[in-house]
Amino acid sequence: MKNKTLIPAFVLTALSMTFSAQAHDPKEHMKNAESPDCAAMKDMDHKRMNKNDPVMQAMMKKCMKHMDHGNDMKGMNHNSSVDDSKEQSDKQHSGHQH
Amino acid sequence: MPTFTAFIKSLFIIAIIGLIGGGLFIYSGLYPMGADVPHNKLSYWMLETLRERSIARAASTTQVPDDLNTSDRLLSGGADYNDMCAGCHLEPEVKENDFTIGLYPSPPNLTAAPQDHGHSSGSDEHGKDAEIQRQFWIIKHGIKASGMPAWGPTHSDERIWNMVSFLQRLPSLTKEQYQILTARGQDDQ
Repeated sequence: MKNKTLIPAFVLTALSMTFSAQAHDPKEHMKNAESPDCAAMKDMDHKRMNKNDPVMQAMMKKCMKHMDHGNDMKGMNHNSSVDDSKEQSDKQHSGHQH
Repeated sequence: MPTFTAFIKSLFIIAIIGLIGGGLFIYSGLYPMGADVPHNKLSYWMLETLRERSIARAASTTQVPDDLNTSDRLLSGGADYNDMCAGCHLEPEVKENDFTIGLYPSPPNLTAAPQDHGHSSGSDEHGKDAEIQRQFWIIKHGIKASGMPAWGPTHSDERIWNMVSFLQRLPSLTKEQYQILTARGQDDQ
């Protein structure tokens, strides 16, 4: 009798622990995920963008995943890889033609 | 001429009366606890000083990573900020919402520079480090009775540092930059 009473309690505890662990996984937020508006990058003032700036590098990384290079990012000549290192940034700088 | 013993006795009696009076006031229920009635200046000063001194002491030993300002940290921290923090701490070009109006104390607008929301620790290197340590500690441990949860039990230190990294750049982001950095997108899975 006691076991029958305890089983639902154990099941509920195990379920609640499982769900609480899932709730904090980044993938849980994907349900409402919106795509980055990379088209907005075309309207930004490229002369004022510093390609060594991690913000700029992060935007490039994000948009390279989501945009067709030959289409949406037309007019922006970017290397295929973006790195935070100074050396890599310098290499990129020579590849940009803004 | 009162003796020293009489002076101590008087202090003791005053302390007892103060304790009894304080206890009676607490049990009377007269203090307004609604979030729509601000604390009086004394209560506010006491609570704020208690909070800030406690956080400053506890956060002072936190080791700040050398690689805080990287694009990978910004991308990870930005997405988490948008999901977990922006509702209360806002995003670029949003000045207030129901939470910032209704919560007391009002959550700081983290899209503004620290000196603009009263949480700057100074502009020198030491002050900057103290500000970073403070942000990490608050995200990890939360703040009692303020609406700020502790994310430490469910988020790794690395993930919290990513959020701190994003917070360092948030005040300088435009609305468009914010959108790109924080959007998770289906391809990021």
